Amino acid sequence: MVAAAAAVGIRFAMGWTLTSVEKYCPFGGLETAYALIARKRFTCAAGELNLALFMALIALTLLARKAFCGWACPLGAVFEWTARLSRRVFKREAFQGLWIIPPKVDAALKIVLRSIVTALILAATWTTGELVFRGYDPYYILFSAHGHDVRNWSYGILGALLLLGVLVPLSWCKYLCPLGAVLWPFSAAGRLRLERSEDHCTGCGSCDRACPQALDVSEALGVRSGECTLCLECTAACPAPGALDLRWKGVAP
Amino acid sequence: MRTPHWVVPALVVLFAVLGIGGARLIAIPSVVREFAPAGSGPLRTTLLVVDGVKCVDTAERAANQFKEVPGVVRLVAYASRNRVEVTFRPGVTDVTKIKDAIEGPVYDESSKAYLFGVYRVVEVDGVEVQR
Repeated sequence: MVAAAAAVGIRFAMGWTLTSVEKYCPFGGLETAYALIARKRFTCAAGELNLALFMALIALTLLARKAFCGWACPLGAVFEWTARLSRRVFKREAFQGLWIIPPKVDAALKIVLRSIVTALILAATWTTGELVFRGYDPYYILFSAHGHDVRNWSYGILGALLLLGVLVPLSWCKYLCPLGAVLWPFSAAGRLRLERSEDHCTGCGSCDRACPQALDVSEALGVRSGECTLCLECTAACPAPGALDLRWKGVAP
Repeated sequence: MRTPHWVVPALVVLFAVLGIGGARLIAIPSVVREFAPAGSGPLRTTLLVVDGVKCVDTAERAANQFKEVPGVVRLVAYASRNRVEVTFRPGVTDVTKIKDAIEGPVYDESSKAYLFGVYRVVEVDGVEVQR
């Protein structure tokens, strides 16, 4: 999927079609929704595709949590690579990076920082009718091939975010991504989830160490967190067959 | 209910296809501009795919290109699809004049200068334009 996303990104970036990569960003659907309701027209370059992808993404998230982030988001893939690099550089068993962030601080940062970023972007987009944050958006900077509004300092921002992604694994996804913030409540209500069987679990903690989101998979009977991307790294790392299973919430075994 | 792991990527692909396919069902114009009353007499609508029409602003500027073109009655632009529908009086203007009008120099308010090559018609009524 990452390869497919990269191929599609390069295809559009090279100008083989008239379509820009930003039209494939589901967050653009939310950005343009206000303009569509209030003025019956789209915001800037956001259009039908953004809107339809955003609605489809909400439906997907209600079923399969943040599976989009774990399986399809090209930026998520890039930051996952920096997270893996971080694990090697700092010789960590888990995705901890340079500093081990206490769980309470981690939870607070997720709520506060992402809420601020999301509120700023939506307020600015809704009031100006323009996609004013293009030059700061790592997805657009990375995949638009020096698109409209990308300046030289934009690459500095991208570089800083990638470096931060090595120091604090998945820092963009966890603390800054506005789409992640919007999806979180829907993801928390997602029907598909990982469940742990106490009968089979040996308590080795392999699942905790494998989780890129640093969730405590072994602490509860099921992963309830809205941050779970269903990447299934935990099930792949689990040495005990039947200890971790993917199950539909509310459907009898 | 125990679920096989392939269900997760399968759902992602399914909803991506639904999203991309669903977009084809929505068509909301970025710009609608009336230049003259429709009145009586025959009218014709031509469909242009224009490189350069990519957002609301560029669609507005493309519409401005027809202010001085006699015979153009109405313009509807769909920026996300680079599509411009121009309704005109066949006796007064024609598709070639419409194509020339949109590809002509564009006056830029900020630099107070004319810009060339801003718009390029790629397709007319489903037929690719040969250069």
